[in-house]
Amino acid sequence: MNLIGLLEEAGLSGRGGAAFPTDMKIRAAIEHHADLIVNACDGEIGTHKDALVVEQHLDELLYGAGLVARSVHWAAHRGSDTEARLLAAGLPVLSVPARYVASEESALVNHLHGGLARPVMRWAPIVFGSRTAKGRRLPPTLVLNAETVWRIGQIERYGPGWFRSHGTPNEPGPRLVTIGGSVERPGVYDTAAGTPLADLLHAAGAVDVGAVGLSGLSGGWLAGSTAWRATWSDAGLAAYGLRTGTGAIHVLDRATCPLDHVARLTGFAAGESAGQCGPCMFGVPAVAEQLGRLVGGTLQPGELQLLQQRLRLLPGRGACRFPDGVAGFVTSALLVFEADVRAHVTGLCVASREWSGAAR
Amino acid sequence: MHHGLARGAEGVHVVNVLWYLSRATGVISMVLMTAVLVLGLFLSGARRSVGARSTTIQAVHRSLSLGMLTFLVVHIVSAIIDTYVHIGVPAAVLPFTSSYSRLDVGLGTVGSDLLAAIVVTSVLRHRISESVWRLVHRASFAMWPVTLWHSIALSTGTDPVLRYTTIGCGVIGVAAVLWRLAGSHHDSARRREVLRQEWT
Repeated sequence: MNLIGLLEEAGLSGRGGAAFPTDMKIRAAIEHHADLIVNACDGEIGTHKDALVVEQHLDELLYGAGLVARSVHWAAHRGSDTEARLLAAGLPVLSVPARYVASEESALVNHLHGGLARPVMRWAPIVFGSRTAKGRRLPPTLVLNAETVWRIGQIERYGPGWFRSHGTPNEPGPRLVTIGGSVERPGVYDTAAGTPLADLLHAAGAVDVGAVGLSGLSGGWLAGSTAWRATWSDAGLAAYGLRTGTGAIHVLDRATCPLDHVARLTGFAAGESAGQCGPCMFGVPAVAEQLGRLVGGTLQPGELQLLQQRLRLLPGRGACRFPDGVAGFVTSALLVFEADVRAHVTGLCVASREWSGAAR
Repeated sequence: MHHGLARGAEGVHVVNVLWYLSRATGVISMVLMTAVLVLGLFLSGARRSVGARSTTIQAVHRSLSLGMLTFLVVHIVSAIIDTYVHIGVPAAVLPFTSSYSRLDVGLGTVGSDLLAAIVVTSVLRHRISESVWRLVHRASFAMWPVTLWHSIALSTGTDPVLRYTTIGCGVIGVAAVLWRLAGSHHDSARRREVLRQEWT
């Protein structure tokens, strides 16, 4: 059986967050004679899984990449250990500025072909070939996440049956997750869809769980009580409007004000705009500004409506999905941390009140 | 006198008509071109867009530029046919080949050639790359000063209406360009700010 048939049977989907069927991407890449970029940037906040794959499974990763394309470029954040390891292995490294949108698929393709590492408007899938805003053509280029490429090699070696022995029928295969935040043993863990989130939390040594963030800036939030009974799979998380996405799991303890954490990350997101599309250039900073004032206790109750209105205006209007991700992230936070939002609007932070020495 | 009246009695009528036609369409083209320039500058430099206003201005910008074409064609054709000064067909196409006022006529030719390029690329806009179209469209900024010089230099001194109209166009156009350059647009300011960050 050829590679595409194996991948189709295995049901491998992209591990970079979008979970697009890998066999379809590779079929399109072969039809368009596309080069391959292996994305080992770990661009999502709180993920380190690509770094682990490069550090511990480089041989298998090289094997997987060799199955897909002859011409392979290795993308890693500038100055990262991953970049150093890839360079030490003598591989052609695409040195990517260490910022959020720079490792987005089309930004990598743009950067590889001499442009800035900023996303490009897509009129068709990037693997078909694309065009920058200035009209410069970008040749067909396939971008696969490092974990995805590693899995391709594994499937070819151990077979689709082995792959499907992990996970669920709809979301098969082993998965890497990065667990961080308020846990005793932060790091990358081997798991699969369908695992109780509680198992993952226990494994990483989470005890005091106030809330759990999933998939970083492109995901959203679970309240602590929900997190202990949720199943970590797209099917299990759909009830909460969430996805496994990039596999980032961030634990906030109950002493931490979740809104403060969300406002900080949104403030970071506001500075990550590539300055190309209105919703991203102005919408994300406007949302971040309001969240900052919410945390500071100076947001008027009437302004919450404007905040919600702005969040609804962000999705679906950018060249890439960055504003969509941030909007989902903040919307989910406002929903899950509704009590905190109300407390902040009336000028009182629930977390700081409950956990300050005076209150207890 | 630069005037057609200096010619022999039998030619006076026809020469006069062509002469006046050429001058009149010339100065109208100049006025329209200035209006198109001002509207275009306003569109690209608008501090904020209000409702349907920019759409309306865009439509007027386009219609006026097409309207100007009509006047310009009449201006060029009548200048060629007019026999008072000899401007042949080649001089109307190739810049700086006119035996009469080589520089001043040549600048007018440069202007009309640029305009032809803009019209052709705009008609083919969906068939050529965005960058080529943009580059050629930007050349319209060179078209205006070139045409202005041509207009001032060739609008005769005995006809203050022509000269002052042209000078008025110059003043208004320069003011619009200065307004455009002076304006800090929050969109482009943010784009520049982001571009100064590390993206390579």
